Amino acid sequence: MTLLAVKDLHTHFVSRDADNRVRVAKALNGVSFSLDAGRTLGIVGETGAGKSLTAQSVVGLLRPPARIVSGSVIFEGQELTNMPAAELNDLRGGDIAMVVQNPRTSLDPLTRVGEQLVRLHQVHTGGPQALSQQRALEMMEAVGIPDPLSRARSWPHELSGGMAQRVLLAMALMNDPKLLIADEPTTGLDVTVQAQILDLLRDLTAQFNMATMMITHDLGVVAHFCDDIAVMFAGSIVESGPVPDVFAEPAHPYTRSLINATPERFRMGEKRTLGGQPPDLYNLPLGCTLQSRCTYASDTCKATVPNVEIAPGHLALCHFAGQLAEKQPVKDQASRNHA
Amino acid sequence: MSQPVLTVRGLCKRFPAGGDRFVNAVNHVDLSIARGETLGMVGESGSGKSTLGRVILRLSEPTRGSIEFDGQDITKMPKGRVRPLRRDMQMVFQDPWSALNPRMRIRDLIGEPLKLHMRLSRSERDDRIEALARRVNLSNAYLNRTPANLSGGQLQRVCIARAIATEPKLIVLDEPTSSLDLSVRAGILELLNEICRESRAALLFISHDLGTVRMISDRIAVLYLGEVVEQGRAEALFENPSHPYTQALLSAHLPADPMVKVNRHVLEGEVPSPIALPSGCKFHTRCPVAIDRCRSDVPEVHQVPTGQHARCLRIPDGGNIYHRKQTA
Amino acid sequence: MAYGAQTDLAERSAFSVFWNRFVAVVRLSPTAAIGLFIIGVFGLLAFLAPWIMPHDPVAAYTDRVLQAPSAEHWFGTDGNGMDVFSRVIYGARFGFGIAIPAVLLSLAIGVPVGLIAGYRGGYLDEILMRFFDGLRVFPSIILALAVVAATGQSLFNVILVLGLLDSPVFARVVRAEVLALRSSNFVESAVAAGNPTWRILFVHLLPNAIQGAMAQTAVRAAWAVRISATLAFLGVGIQAPTPEWGAMIRQGAEFMVSGQWWVAVYPGLALIFMVFGLNLFGDGLQDLMDPRRRAAK
Repeated sequence: MTLLAVKDLHTHFVSRDADNRVRVAKALNGVSFSLDAGRTLGIVGETGAGKSLTAQSVVGLLRPPARIVSGSVIFEGQELTNMPAAELNDLRGGDIAMVVQNPRTSLDPLTRVGEQLVRLHQVHTGGPQALSQQRALEMMEAVGIPDPLSRARSWPHELSGGMAQRVLLAMALMNDPKLLIADEPTTGLDVTVQAQILDLLRDLTAQFNMATMMITHDLGVVAHFCDDIAVMFAGSIVESGPVPDVFAEPAHPYTRSLINATPERFRMGEKRTLGGQPPDLYNLPLGCTLQSRCTYASDTCKATVPNVEIAPGHLALCHFAGQLAEKQPVKDQASRNHA
Repeated sequence: MSQPVLTVRGLCKRFPAGGDRFVNAVNHVDLSIARGETLGMVGESGSGKSTLGRVILRLSEPTRGSIEFDGQDITKMPKGRVRPLRRDMQMVFQDPWSALNPRMRIRDLIGEPLKLHMRLSRSERDDRIEALARRVNLSNAYLNRTPANLSGGQLQRVCIARAIATEPKLIVLDEPTSSLDLSVRAGILELLNEICRESRAALLFISHDLGTVRMISDRIAVLYLGEVVEQGRAEALFENPSHPYTQALLSAHLPADPMVKVNRHVLEGEVPSPIALPSGCKFHTRCPVAIDRCRSDVPEVHQVPTGQHARCLRIPDGGNIYHRKQTA
Repeated sequence: MAYGAQTDLAERSAFSVFWNRFVAVVRLSPTAAIGLFIIGVFGLLAFLAPWIMPHDPVAAYTDRVLQAPSAEHWFGTDGNGMDVFSRVIYGARFGFGIAIPAVLLSLAIGVPVGLIAGYRGGYLDEILMRFFDGLRVFPSIILALAVVAATGQSLFNVILVLGLLDSPVFARVVRAEVLALRSSNFVESAVAAGNPTWRILFVHLLPNAIQGAMAQTAVRAAWAVRISATLAFLGVGIQAPTPEWGAMIRQGAEFMVSGQWWVAVYPGLALIFMVFGLNLFGDGLQDLMDPRRRAAK
């Protein structure tokens, strides 16, 4: 069953420049995806592609000057974009939980760890204090914190980065969430600790039958820990589908270039990388946002861009989706690397 | 192998940590890099890899040991005499956004090492700056702008142009690609690789990312708690990692391909504090094959059949290998 | 993304660029705009004084002593029969004439000291900063009084004393900036490139550390105007009948009780407005230059 359905979401930043002129940055341009219970969706993309903004738009955590211009976010049949703030607040930390990058700055430095977990439970469920405490200890145990009873009494600054991330995970699980949004959950952590946290996340998703939305820039994480992948570029999902399909047969030139730039595929001297500036969100071109960097681009790309379904559930925003293997690059690659 | 450009012996660096406690960032490191060679230095955060790079360039004072650069011992050399040597040893930093003076034009940033170390006329210098910009694939249009107007990849190209301006003999690259996006990263690595091949400079490439290091290095040194636990030729080290930590590090690496099955051995716990280093082998607190002796005896460096040198007590009895790479 | 910003500006006329900037500043900080307006009026008065003044500010009309404001003497006349209106206008020249050189002197001393103390740290930093702290411990007005009294009463000495006394403010601000910048990547990168210390200080650190000090200048100018007027009021430094506001207030104070309020009140009002204007502008300046303060608004 579809737990979360995002349809044609547009989010803009409206600001004024130093010369007092209104500027609009089109940060999200028609983002659509859906997520089922028990599945993990990996959202990948580069800085400024709109990954975190998608998450913030979904849970209504946008701050001015960013705002949703159009589109809908349906969670369990409820529309979130026009939900009153109070109801949305009940949902966040309840049915929808978030885990963010930099775990240490996400904890209240003046409150003991256990107390923070208990408070979160109390806010959402009320009930006897003892019950919340019991739940806190259970969740700390579930995320693999050794000796939860004494850990509950420690202060946030006493935790290592990995331990703090476990505490945040425990916090996210306190109210039995149906949707977990993990925004770069392992970026600040060491490789060996990253592996621990990712394993844990996967086990928890299965154990609690949650849906997890994992935002990352690491294709390795997506390849091994996600069921589905959505690749973002300039505020659009340019390709989405089941992980094995997309990695085996990337249908969009951008996905292709990303995968080819990973250490596993990259060979020195092949010059297969996409160069160029990130697109100017204040001034997006008509048609495909990748047109100026894409080696396959033709005139049709400057007008429209279709969302092609190559295989069931495998979509790509490209005229040539699914035909890249046969197609020769139109333009000279070297001229594009001069960025 | 030709005469090494850089030879480091028994290098230690510790910082005061209040009272009579010290952060032992670098502990007895030996390494050398030859002309035209790239040494990859891998370690997690807190392994002391950045400190090591800075101590080697005398940006931070060594506590013990010796640094020999280009035939001269620079360990205790006065700052005033090190300064002219900087023409031959340059550095590229991790975060290109903060590594460039925000108030200077790109032209002046690239030209600064030339101005400091070479007597050139203004027009000669301008020619060199433009040639350098071309070398790193940076359009001349950016030369008169300030860093705020460039993207991360372009800024890192500027940093590289700056580092190669005086044709140095040694370049230390401290995580030059880890703050960049994937597609930009590949371009920068490509550029570094070319520069390394054509300039015959010795490169010390510091990174936490094994995949990146493998792409560019001839030899690799693995650092754990300020100590080189394994060192050897890149292919050998990747194919047959002999130190348990190297094996763990390799198995924690996630290839960006769902078809490659990884046989993962997740290490327990986290890196101990460099203030109170573990006794004996520094890795014994997390090591899956540690025996009682590892707690008390400091392991020696052994050479393994595949050529690497590793610091592990269990190499003689063969118990060091616990992880075999699997490919589907 | 700001990549396109520069090309765009050239396409528009210089005036429209200026006007848009001006509107943006007014919108971001209306207080700064009001302050700037007040300072501008005083600046204009000071500059145009010889042409605006209806009378010579030091010409004594002995037959018109202590006259109330009238059509001939808008602000009345003082105890010597001098035209208060003309004297108030001319006084603006002293306000700027003392404040500007005093602040420049403070900058000239404070900024290099702050740079060196912050970058070098250690004993040098301790010694320099303790010395400057010492300067700040004394109530500045008493110290200024003592020094001017000892060195001789002249405009030059007043400027010298004010400039010296206020230099710790700039040294502190610059030192704090340098401490934050010292370990930043671009400074380390400058060392790694082989820059000598003087270049690190003046080419790399100074342009990045000076902003906080510049933001302080208007507020410190207000301070200099106030203190110099106070000194003159206390009879130290500038003496009557020089048309300096502090000296005029001192002279007028004795007539307050007998009802001739205008001698002291008009220069007092001028002083209040100028200090107010400088402070408003100074506060706005700090807001504009500090993105954190700007964001908080």
